[in-house]
Amino acid sequence: MKTVLIADDASFMRQMIRDIIEPEGYEVVGEASDGVEVVEKFRELHPDLVMMDIVMPKRSGIDAVKAIKAEDPTAAVVMCSALGQETLVMEAIQAGAKDFIVKPFKPDAVITTLAKTIEKGE
Amino acid sequence: MASGFAGAGTTKLDLEKYTALFLEEATEHLAEMSTALLALEKEPGDGEAIDVVFRMAHSIKGMAASLEMDSVTELSHRLEDLMDGYRAAGRVDATEGIALLFRSLDGLERMVEGVRENGVAPALDDGLVALLGAAAAVPENEGEPPKKI
Repeated sequence: MKTVLIADDASFMRQMIRDIIEPEGYEVVGEASDGVEVVEKFRELHPDLVMMDIVMPKRSGIDAVKAIKAEDPTAAVVMCSALGQETLVMEAIQAGAKDFIVKPFKPDAVITTLAKTIEKGE
Repeated sequence: MASGFAGAGTTKLDLEKYTALFLEEATEHLAEMSTALLALEKEPGDGEAIDVVFRMAHSIKGMAASLEMDSVTELSHRLEDLMDGYRAAGRVDATEGIALLFRSLDGLERMVEGVRENGVAPALDDGLVALLGAAAAVPENEGEPPKKI
């Protein structure tokens, strides 16, 4: 079973991602509510994939991607963005994120993106 | 209640659960936003407070969009855009800007209360949205606050 770490400052969004991916066979091994916590939990849990919001307190999603990639250049990170954040998404991809999904989430798109990202990393 | 997220894909989600989560988190976010606006009223260059208002608007937008609460999504999106400009400028407009931010907070609070009481988001205040759009459209000016509206 593939393991996932979810990072978003809104528990609403973390719960929504969990409800989408767990029935599809992914195991959520941890949650983080800010950009510092996600790096700490990545280091601790070594998940197969990180799903992370771009806008977070303490440390932005882009800075957190850079920190995670510095820890593990093979890390698979998918950014969660919103419409109108194209520039930030490009920055995140340049920082090492593998892909992105756009809010509001469409369950099929989330699952397809996760599967593709994990497949690409194997 | 809007049909929301359920049915958008293969997974069915519990809209009642998510509406309750929205009400809880949006109420907390609006309280944080209120505290940050009071700080900005005293110090328009308070970068941390500007960031808090931006993030709270962003978060409310994401939740509301997931539940297809279009009016809440639109108002929070406009507020987020304005705050993004203020983030770039490093300060908010100390007069009309602050007043507009408090009016936006009031508008969001009324919308959230409408969802709590009636299960649906009230209609958008078009006048407020126009003011936010006009304020956000003013080009940034090398660190100067956006022009007054």
